[in-house]
Amino acid sequence: MTLFRLHQLLVQPKFGSAGRQVIANNFVWEVLPVRNRASFLVPAALMAVVIGCEQPQARFELTERTKDLMSPARTAVADAVEENFGTPNDLVAWLRSPTRYGDNTGHVAGGDGTVSADSFPAEFDEPVASDLSGAALRFTSGKYQGQQVPVGQFDADAGQLVLGAVLDPPVEQDTQFQVVGDVLQHGRMLYMTHCMHCHGVSGDGEGPTAQYLDPRPREYRLGIYKFTSTKQTDKASTDDLQRTVKQGIPGTYMPSFMLLKDDELAAVVEYVRFLSIRGEFEKKLVDELYGDYSTAAVNDRLESGESEDEIESQLTAYIQDDLPSTVDFASSDLASSWTNADTEAAVVVPEKSRVPDTLESRKRGRALYVSDRTKCVTCHGPKGRGNGSATNDYWKVPGSNETYDSRGLHDLWGNKLSPRDLTRGIYRGGRRPIDLYRRVYAGIKGTPMPAFGGTVLKDDEIWDLVNYVMSIPFESEQPSPGNEQLAVTVSDQPR
Amino acid sequence: MSVAHPALADHSHEAHGHHDPGFVRKYIFSTDHKVIGIQFLATPLLMLMVGGALALGVRWQLAFPWQAMPILGSGLFAAEGGQISPETYTMLFTMHASVMIFLVIIPVLAGAFGNFLIPLMIGADDMAFPTLNMLSYWFMWPAIFFFGASFATAGGPNAGPAAGWTSYPVLSAIPDAAPGSGPAQTLWLFGLTFVGVSSMMGSVNYMTTIINMRAPGMTLFRMPMTIWGMFITAILQAFALPVLTAAGFMQLFDRVRLFGMGIHTCFFVPAGLIVNNADPTVGGGHPLLWQHQFWFYSHSAVSIMLLPVMGMVSDMLTTMCRKPLFGYKPMVYSLAAIAGLGFIVWGHHMFTSGMNPALGMTFMISTMMIALPSAVKVFNWIGTIWGGKVQFNTVMLNCVAFISMFIVGGLSGIFMAAVPVDIYFHDTYFIVAHFHYVLFGATLFGVFGGIQYWFPKMFGRMMSETLGKIHFFLSFAGFNCTFFPMHLLGIAGMPRRYADPYLHPYLEHLLPMNQFMTISAIVMGFAQFLLLINFFGSIFWGKKASRNPWNANGLEWVAPSPPPHGNFESVPVVHRGPYEYSSPLVDDRDYLMQTDVLPLKGAEA
Amino acid sequence: MAKSWCIFFIFWPTLALAVCWMAPAWGWWFPGDAASTLGARIDDLFYLILIIVSVVFVGTHVGLAYVLWRGSSFNEPKALFTHGSHNLEVIWTIVPSGILLFIALYQMDVWADYRVQSAFPPEAVRAPVAEVTARQFEWRIRYPAPGKTLQLTPQPDDLYTVNDLHIPVGRPVMIQLRSDDVQHSFFVPMLRVKQDAVPGLVIPIWFDSVRSDTYELLCAELCGWGHYKMKARVVAQSDANFKSYLAELHREQFDDGVPSAATESSEAAETASKSE
Repeated sequence: MTLFRLHQLLVQPKFGSAGRQVIANNFVWEVLPVRNRASFLVPAALMAVVIGCEQPQARFELTERTKDLMSPARTAVADAVEENFGTPNDLVAWLRSPTRYGDNTGHVAGGDGTVSADSFPAEFDEPVASDLSGAALRFTSGKYQGQQVPVGQFDADAGQLVLGAVLDPPVEQDTQFQVVGDVLQHGRMLYMTHCMHCHGVSGDGEGPTAQYLDPRPREYRLGIYKFTSTKQTDKASTDDLQRTVKQGIPGTYMPSFMLLKDDELAAVVEYVRFLSIRGEFEKKLVDELYGDYSTAAVNDRLESGESEDEIESQLTAYIQDDLPSTVDFASSDLASSWTNADTEAAVVVPEKSRVPDTLESRKRGRALYVSDRTKCVTCHGPKGRGNGSATNDYWKVPGSNETYDSRGLHDLWGNKLSPRDLTRGIYRGGRRPIDLYRRVYAGIKGTPMPAFGGTVLKDDEIWDLVNYVMSIPFESEQPSPGNEQLAVTVSDQPR
Repeated sequence: MSVAHPALADHSHEAHGHHDPGFVRKYIFSTDHKVIGIQFLATPLLMLMVGGALALGVRWQLAFPWQAMPILGSGLFAAEGGQISPETYTMLFTMHASVMIFLVIIPVLAGAFGNFLIPLMIGADDMAFPTLNMLSYWFMWPAIFFFGASFATAGGPNAGPAAGWTSYPVLSAIPDAAPGSGPAQTLWLFGLTFVGVSSMMGSVNYMTTIINMRAPGMTLFRMPMTIWGMFITAILQAFALPVLTAAGFMQLFDRVRLFGMGIHTCFFVPAGLIVNNADPTVGGGHPLLWQHQFWFYSHSAVSIMLLPVMGMVSDMLTTMCRKPLFGYKPMVYSLAAIAGLGFIVWGHHMFTSGMNPALGMTFMISTMMIALPSAVKVFNWIGTIWGGKVQFNTVMLNCVAFISMFIVGGLSGIFMAAVPVDIYFHDTYFIVAHFHYVLFGATLFGVFGGIQYWFPKMFGRMMSETLGKIHFFLSFAGFNCTFFPMHLLGIAGMPRRYADPYLHPYLEHLLPMNQFMTISAIVMGFAQFLLLINFFGSIFWGKKASRNPWNANGLEWVAPSPPPHGNFESVPVVHRGPYEYSSPLVDDRDYLMQTDVLPLKGAEA
Repeated sequence: MAKSWCIFFIFWPTLALAVCWMAPAWGWWFPGDAASTLGARIDDLFYLILIIVSVVFVGTHVGLAYVLWRGSSFNEPKALFTHGSHNLEVIWTIVPSGILLFIALYQMDVWADYRVQSAFPPEAVRAPVAEVTARQFEWRIRYPAPGKTLQLTPQPDDLYTVNDLHIPVGRPVMIQLRSDDVQHSFFVPMLRVKQDAVPGLVIPIWFDSVRSDTYELLCAELCGWGHYKMKARVVAQSDANFKSYLAELHREQFDDGVPSAATESSEAAETASKSE
C-alpha cells in the first residue's frame, strides 16, 4: 500500500481545448509490475538502498521514419503520440481510440468500511474484472466532481478501495465515480512479463531476445497481422489475436499461452491492440509530414533553392493549423477500421461447406495447384517444399525501384520469407480446414501470399485446393525422373 | 636471497639458483611453489567475488522478477526499464557456475593449497617440476580470458554462453538452439579446455612430488591428511580429466567451422532436428553421450572439490583440539573409497535422462555406498573433537561449520541417490540446495579456515581474529538463510534455472521466501569483503607470526614463516605421524612435532 | 565466548528442524498429496528417507554439540590422547552400510514399476493415449483419432493440441515422449512424474491420476531462454468426458467454418459420445 503512494499523479489533461472532450484523457500512472502477493516494504527499502533513485524507465521508441523527420516535425509527432498514448509507465487512456481500456462505474458505499483520506468502501455497478491497481478514478458527482485520482488497489472481498492520493476532506458517501484503464494496466503488466522481451516495449518486434529468433517477432506498429479470419483489406479481429496468443504459432518461437485466464488473455490482447493503434497513429502523422520534411526531402528542397527559414515556417504553420485535424482524421480512421474488424461482416465465411475430401477432389486441387491461375508452384514448388522458382529471384522492394539485397521473397517488414514447406504439416495460421481456406481466400497479410477468394477461385475450387494441400504431408514419395509434376502421387490416404 | 644451507645445497637444483632472480622471475613468472600457491589463492579469491556478483544477479531476478536489476539492468536494458531479458538470466547462472567451479573451487584447492602445502608438508624443497607448476598457473589465465570473452559477447548479436555449466547438447551444440550457443559457447569450451590443461599439469606434478620427494622418514602413513587428500585428488584428476577434455573437443568439432569448412561432426546431435527454422540437422549422434562423458568427469570433480578440504579440515581440527586424529587409517581408506566409488556413480546425475533403467539401479547402489565413507569421516571428525581441548578460534569455527554443512549436504544427497525419489527432485531447487551445501557450505568454509590457518606460513603474519569471526558469523548465517530454504523450494517442486517460476501458480506463494533468501544472499555476499579486507590487510598490518603459531606438529611449521626459497634450513627428518598432540611422551607441552627427537626410548609413534 | 559458539552451532540445526517441522503448515512442502499411485509410493519412500535422515541429522549434530560443549569446558592441561577405536570404526562402518543398502534395495520396486518397460501396465502399453512432443517452448500433443491407436508417424486424422494434455482418470496411461529440438523434461509435480525428452529418442512413460483434476505440466531441463515459459496442463477426466473431449477436438479440428455444418457435426459428435 505504501508503495503505491510513491507514485504521483503525473500530468493534467491538456487536450481540453480544440474541440476535444476532457473525458477523453484519463491519465494512468505507473505501477511496478509486482504481484501483490507479499509485503514489499523490506525489498523496496533494500532496492532503494542498492540502486538509489536512478531507475531507468521503460520507454516507447519512435519509428525510424519519425526519427528521420526534421526536428520540429519529429517533436510535434512525438508530442502528439505521447499526449494521446502516454509512456509505458504513464499510459493514457484516450477514449477516442477503439481500445477497451476497462471502464467501471460505482459509488462510495456506506456499511462496514471506513472512509478515510485515502480509502473508502466502494460498490461497483458491475463486478470488477481485474486488478484495479493503477487505473484512474474520476469522480462524477460530489465535491470532487471532475477530479482524477489514481487507484492504489481495490480489495474485492472487503470492498475497500485504496487511493493512490490523499483526499482531504474525505469523500462523502454515495459519491459517484468512474474507474478507467484497469484492463490496459493489467494488459501492460502481463505484456511486460510475457511478451516484451521478444516484441519490445513499444511493440516494434525488437525486444532484447528478438535478434535470436527466426522468424522475427511481429512488429505491431503497422497494424498488420498475418494470420487472421478477416478479409484481405480488414484488420485483425480481437478474436484472431486472442486465438494467436492462445494457440501460439506453430513452427515459430511464438508459444501458446493456453493457460492465461480469459480476462488476462483479453487484457494482454487489448494492450497489443493499444500498441498497434499507437504505432499506426504515429505512422499516419508521419505519412503526412514525410514527403516534405524527411531528411532527404529537406535536402532536396534546400538544393532546389528554398531557404531553411521558409521550410521551418511552413512546418510551424502546418503544425499549428493542420496537425490537429490530422490527429482527428487519423483517430477516426483508426477507430472505424479497428472497430470494423470486430464485426461479423469482416470475417471470411465460406459460402459452401467443405467439399468431401476425396481423391478426385485432391486431384482437382493438385491441378489447380500447378495451374497458371493460382501459380502456387512458383513459390511453394512442384512438391510443396516451399522451393519454387520465386525463391531464387531478386524481388523489388514495394513502392521503390530497388531490389532486396537477398534472393527470395520478403514480407512487408523487410524480413526474408520462405514460402511454407507444405510437406511438413506445420500450418502457422492453424490446421483447421477453415484456417487453410482463409489463407487461400484472403491471403496472408503483409506477405506475397495473395488473396484468391471471390475473384480468382470459386468456393469449391478453394476447398479442392485445401484438400490437396492437407494431403501433401502424406504423399508417397515415388521419384519418377523426367516428369516432376506427374511424379507427385496424390495421397489417397483416407481421413 | 635464498638461504643456502649446507644441508640444502646438494638438494637444490638450478632453478633455486643462488643469485637473485629478479622481480619478474621471483614474483610473477615464479617457479617457487609458494609464490605459485599464493598466486593460485589470490586469483580465485577475486574470481569468487565475480561469481558471487553473478549469483546476486540470479537471486535478484528470482526475488524481484522482471524488475529493474541494479547495474546490469540499467546498463544493458535501459530502454526496457532495467528489466533483464530471459537469456541474460540463463547467461548469469551459466557463468556463475562456470566461474565458481572452474575458476574458484578447483584452482583454490589443488592450485593454492596443493601448491603451497605439498612440498612444505612432505619436507621437500619444491615441486618435482617447478616450470610445469608455473605453467599450470599461467594456463589459468587463458581460461579466465576465454570465459570472460565468452561472457563479454553478450549484448551483441550473440549472447554469452547460456546452456548451463553442464552445457548439454543439443542446446549447446547447435548455434541456433540458444542465444548463447554461438561463438560464446565455443569460447566457453576453450576456457574449459584450458582449465583442464592447467589441472592436468598440476595433477602430474602433485603425484610425482608426493611419491618421490618425501623427506626421510615420511612414510605414506605418516603423511598428513591434507597430503592424502591432494594425492588422491591428483590421481582422480589424471584419470577423469581426459574424458572431459575429449568431450569438450567433440562438442567443439560438432560446432566449429574452420577456414570456411565445417567440421560439423555429429557426436551429440541426432538427425532431423529443426531448431529455430535452421536447416535440419544431419545427425547420427546422441545427446546422452555428452552427459555420460561430462558427468564421468564432473562427478569426480565433486571429489576433486571436496577431498583436499577433508584433508585440510582433519589437520586443522587436530591442531585446534590438541588431540590426535581419531582413526587415521580409516580416514585414509575412506578418502580413497570416496575417490574410487566416485568413478562409478556419475549416472546418478542422469536418472531421468532416459538411459537404460537397469543402469539407474546400479548407480543407485554405488551412490548409496559412497555415503558410507563420508559417514565414516564425519564420525571420525566428531571422535576427534571428543575429549579435545577445543580452541574456538576462527579456524575451528570454520572447521565445525564444514562438518555441520557437510552432514546436511551429505544427507540431502541420499534423497536424490534414491532413484524413485529423484524422479521428483531431479532438477528442482533441492539439488541446488544440496550442491551448495557441499560445495559452498563444506568446501568454502574449509577454505576459509585453511586461509586463516596457513596464512601465517604464507605471509609471516597472522590474520585478524575479530574480522575472521565476524566474517564467519555473517557467512554462516547468510549461507544457511540463503540455502536451507532451497530444500523447501525443491520439495515444493520449484525447478532450477527458471527466470520466472511464478508464472506457474503452484509456485506463486514461494516469492516471499525467495525474497528472504535473496536478502540473505546479499548479506552473505557483502560479508566476503571482510575476508578480502582481512586477507589483504593482514599481509601488511597483521601481527608478526612465529614459526609455529598454532603449536602444530606438521613439517610446514618447522620452516620459517614465511619459508625462504628452498623451504627448510636443513632436510627435515620425520620420526612420527603428524597428529601426536597431547602425547604423554612430553611433559612441558601438548604437541610433538614430526621432526622432534626425543631422548626417550620408543619415542616413535 | 566458547560456550556461546557452542550455542551458535546448536541453534542452527535446531532452527532447521523447526523450519522443516513447520514447513508443511506454512505451505513450503509438496504441492499437495501425490495424485498418482506411483506418486504416493514415491512420497512414502521420501518420508521413509526423511525419517532416517532426520534421525541421523539429529544424532550427528547432538554428538557434535556434545563434543564441542565438552571441549569448551575442558580444564585439564592435556587433551585425551587416543588414536581411535577399532571397534567403533567397525560399528560405524557396518551400521550405516546396512541402512544405506536397505534404502537402496527398498527403492528398487518403485523404480522398476515406473521405468522398466516390461513392468509397464499392459493396458497402458496397448493404447498410448498421446504423443507429447516438446519444442522450444511449448508442448505439442498429438492424439490418435477417436477409435484408433496412436502410430509413431503422424496420420491425417490425428488430433493436435498444444500445452493441454487430457488423460482418462483412474487407469494407467502411457504417452510417447519426444523432442523436436533440444532436450526438455516432462515434469508434472502433482503426479510426481519426470522424464527427459531427448532429441532422437521416443521415450514411453506411464502414469495415472487417481482423481479428476487439472495438474501443472512444466519443463525441468534447461532448454533455452524460454525454459520457464513451457507452462502447460494435464487434465485428468472421466472416460466419458475424455471421449467427448476428443470428439469436440475432432469437430473443431475439421471445422470448415460454415455455421450450419459446424453445429450439425457437433450434434453428431454429441450423439456419438452418448451412444458410446
